[in-house]
Amino acid sequence: MSGDHTFSMTGRERNVLFGFMGLGLLCIVLTFFGDDAVHSRFWSNYLINAVFFTGVSFVALFILAAFTTAYTGWYIVVKRIWEGYAQFLIVGIILMLVLIIGLWGHFHHLYHWADEEAVAADPVLLGKSGFLNKYWYTFGTLIILGTWYFAFARPMRKLSLREDVEGHDANYSLYRKYKWFSAVFLPIGAFTSAAMIWQWVMSVDAHWYSTMFAWYTTASWFVACMAITIMLVLYLKGRGALPFVTTEHLHDLGKYLFAFSIFWTYLWFSQYMLIWYANVGEETTYFHTRINEYPVLFYGNLVLNFVVPFFVLMRNDTKRKAGTLFFVALVVLLGRFLDFFQMVKPGVLHTTHEALAHSGEAAATEAGHHASHFTAGFTIPGLLEIGTFFGFLALFIFFVFKQLEKAPLLPKNDPYLAESLHHHVQ
Amino acid sequence: MHAPVAPVREPLIEGHKSYHNITEDLCSPTEKAPSLAWIIAFVVSVATMTFGLFSLAWTIWFGIGSWNLNRTIGWGYDITNFVWWIGIGHAGTLISAILLLFRQKWRTGVNRAAEAMTIFAVVCAGMFPATHTGRPWFDFFMFPYPNTRGPLWVNFNSPLLWDLFAISTYFTVSLLFWYTGLVPDFATVRDRAVGFRKKMYNVLSFGWTGSAKHWQRWESLSLVLAGLATPLVLSVHTIVSFDFATSVIPGWHTTIFPPYFVAGAIFSGFAMVQTLMIITRKILNLQQYITINHIESMNKVILLTGTIVGVAYLTELFIAWYSGYLYEQFAFFNRAMGIYWWSYFGMMACNVLSPQIFWVKKYRRSIYITFLMSIFVNIGMWFERFVIIATTLARDYLPSSWSYYTPTWVEIGIYVGTLGIFFTLYLLFTRLAPVVAVAEVKHILKTAGDQYIKQRATDNHASEVVKESNH
Amino acid sequence: MSQHTKEVFYGLYNDEEDLLHAIEEANAQHLEIMDVYTPFPVHGLDKVMHLEESRLHIAGFVFGALGTMTAFGFMTWVFTRDWPIIFGGKPYWSVPAFIPITFELTVLFAAIGMVVSFYTVCGLGPGVSNPILDERITDDKFCIAFETDKADLDALKAFFSKTGAGEVHTKTI
Repeated sequence: MSGDHTFSMTGRERNVLFGFMGLGLLCIVLTFFGDDAVHSRFWSNYLINAVFFTGVSFVALFILAAFTTAYTGWYIVVKRIWEGYAQFLIVGIILMLVLIIGLWGHFHHLYHWADEEAVAADPVLLGKSGFLNKYWYTFGTLIILGTWYFAFARPMRKLSLREDVEGHDANYSLYRKYKWFSAVFLPIGAFTSAAMIWQWVMSVDAHWYSTMFAWYTTASWFVACMAITIMLVLYLKGRGALPFVTTEHLHDLGKYLFAFSIFWTYLWFSQYMLIWYANVGEETTYFHTRINEYPVLFYGNLVLNFVVPFFVLMRNDTKRKAGTLFFVALVVLLGRFLDFFQMVKPGVLHTTHEALAHSGEAAATEAGHHASHFTAGFTIPGLLEIGTFFGFLALFIFFVFKQLEKAPLLPKNDPYLAESLHHHVQ
Repeated sequence: MHAPVAPVREPLIEGHKSYHNITEDLCSPTEKAPSLAWIIAFVVSVATMTFGLFSLAWTIWFGIGSWNLNRTIGWGYDITNFVWWIGIGHAGTLISAILLLFRQKWRTGVNRAAEAMTIFAVVCAGMFPATHTGRPWFDFFMFPYPNTRGPLWVNFNSPLLWDLFAISTYFTVSLLFWYTGLVPDFATVRDRAVGFRKKMYNVLSFGWTGSAKHWQRWESLSLVLAGLATPLVLSVHTIVSFDFATSVIPGWHTTIFPPYFVAGAIFSGFAMVQTLMIITRKILNLQQYITINHIESMNKVILLTGTIVGVAYLTELFIAWYSGYLYEQFAFFNRAMGIYWWSYFGMMACNVLSPQIFWVKKYRRSIYITFLMSIFVNIGMWFERFVIIATTLARDYLPSSWSYYTPTWVEIGIYVGTLGIFFTLYLLFTRLAPVVAVAEVKHILKTAGDQYIKQRATDNHASEVVKESNH
Repeated sequence: MSQHTKEVFYGLYNDEEDLLHAIEEANAQHLEIMDVYTPFPVHGLDKVMHLEESRLHIAGFVFGALGTMTAFGFMTWVFTRDWPIIFGGKPYWSVPAFIPITFELTVLFAAIGMVVSFYTVCGLGPGVSNPILDERITDDKFCIAFETDKADLDALKAFFSKTGAGEVHTKTI
């Protein structure tokens, strides 16, 4: 290994990633043409992936900010990877822009509240239209995502890279500036991400509401981010790019995967149990639909995201074995995808039915009929969904690799570097 | 070689302490005659406690008719104070368990006292549900025991029963965790003591010798107990929130309650830790162990959790509007603009707005402002529970049953009395046990002592570090 | 908890670094250490002493699992066999409502079980008073102890002086 730990993608890596991106594109195209009249399967797949990866990059930024504020030292050896994730927010803006264009052009029927006729006839939706409207969706998304990227992710990355080149003065002023950005981002990120989650995901079930939902989704993103990180770190380490990442760091990443899987389960249980217990019709319908019509998603979600990580990672030694850790991270990543899948699909299918039924045309009615019996892609992810997800994942990894190429993998002037290099669990 | 320490870390132990200095400084408060300040505080606490016990006796003698509870206000001061005290208890477990897992070394300065505070706070909290049953001598009915009334069991589906299990588990586990941490320190006190005190601490220290194998098991036990206590502390306030959120009462039935109650509990708990620590470090002369850096870190936690609570308040408010549910909307309108508007604004001002001054480093490091803020936050968190309970119950579905609740002197007496119990127990604790964990402070001395931090900062060169990483 | 008295030869060090080096030296010289006593848990001590990893967490898991089964099994038995009652229109066997108590008892059993195991295997507890080699061990001294009848006294003296022990003593316990 060279002393400055630079990274460059090999031709093979590039080919594999492009191959998967191509596969993803193929799946997207196939989905689009094999779809119902309003392309609900295509658009909902797009929404799931766009929100998933934008969220992972948001959470990476949030983790950097939180760890910096909390004087965490051990993670410095993987800091560059999370910085790379956070830069993906710029792609997230573009991905969300497509949905915004679709909203204005009425290309998709993801959101019930976007259907003006339906809103006019529905007092509940009418009451929400002050928030659920295309102006809020557009400007909220652009301004908030723009703030995350242009006001935080990019300047923080620049500071971190400057630190590499310039080193430190006696006051550690670059580090202190980075810390200032981190502290300011925490409340801003916390407030704004909630608003975005309500818009992007919760409003898919436009009548339903849950105060917990934003935190629940953020926890889901967090676990997804950890899962991708663990797999990427293991891969890069196997390739010789991260010789300074030791079993101790992987142990800690594994702990986070374990702890936040449990935390997510806690939020899942609290939300589910309270709605189940009180049994208020407006709320219960959400879980009623999922248990009865989407049982694979409902129970699979718990198995992949709680049972597997809990029982495998409970032991200390499993967090220190590369193979086991990689396996669990992969299972959890698929589980996280399934979680977003079950958040989005039932609501979209419902809206699609309404849209198709109201259009009154014979062809559309037939298509609506078709959609209601179409299970793969709605009640369970089909091959096309999995292909699309891997396509987006490849895009994400490709982008992150591009970022990693721009700077040494070891932030050599970070004040906590020595702690991180000599990190020992316990 | 010791693990390296980042040059930007602040020392957590000041005054160039040696191991022996640490023993001296931390054990001596239990060896000296109590100071005048301690005696005055103790007398005041015991007097307050006596008044509380008198009010409690009054309640038991005359029944809870001596409280101003009425339809529709079935819960008033009792459950407000219960939740308030339980919340305060949470900081102790958070400091000793969650911060241990997150490797926050500053926890060692305050964990012992905070855990003690947890236990005393849970004692105070437990009195309210026990009394509000009306016939506390029948409280054992709450436990599922084989009985003479046929196969009649308690209702395991009731959140109030979950609460009983949660609070008793929490109390037991906290006590075990705290005492296991104390055993080596009791041994230190024992080995310095003579006469009766030696005998007493000999019993308390369980025969501790400091053997390597014992320390290894002790560390393993502490780590697993910390791992258990972390979800436990979350579960306790979560279950307290279930008391409200499983109902269908607007303003109570909301899914964010569990994590939001937990955040609020940590928030109020840290405020109480600050109140106690600022007084303790001054009276027991522990400024070099509970440093300004500790206080600053805790203020950051207060700022963080205050903001989380703020996010939750606004989420609730927003979703109440968003839900399109008339009664939910009214419940929140009533909180902010109804007859109890003052408690809502007190809550917002104390919990969300005022902690924001901790963005300024100067204020985070000011003892006076910290002390004042800690009182503010405690008041604010009391208001929060009062808003949730009294405000909601005073305005239910039937306008003909709307009323206004004010406590009687008995209810106030019990509340004030629990403060007396709390401080009496805490004051006794400061006389009996080292308020700062002796062994744990020694353990971090070489990574957090000021003389070591300074020394490392001078010989820590980044280039050398990178060279090492390439081996 | 041996009833026999034994003579112990021990040295006191002033710093944990010296202690760790001394133990490495003792290992190299094949001296059989009786025990090491320290005022706080010294990082890396278990490794140089080749102590086996503590199995307390396994006890914790077993007790925890016992708690889970006790709580869940009992509530299931009460509400499906012994006295089924409908609460709030829910099924007799309402799994979500059983989770909180199941969780609490899991933690309770695990914690009590582990703490009791800890004091039992360490031979500690209320009323136990073990012989103390030196009262400064709980203050600032780090102690290595040998049994005199198992080693050559001169070799031990040479060992202590080589490794920089501040004091050496003999004591019968």
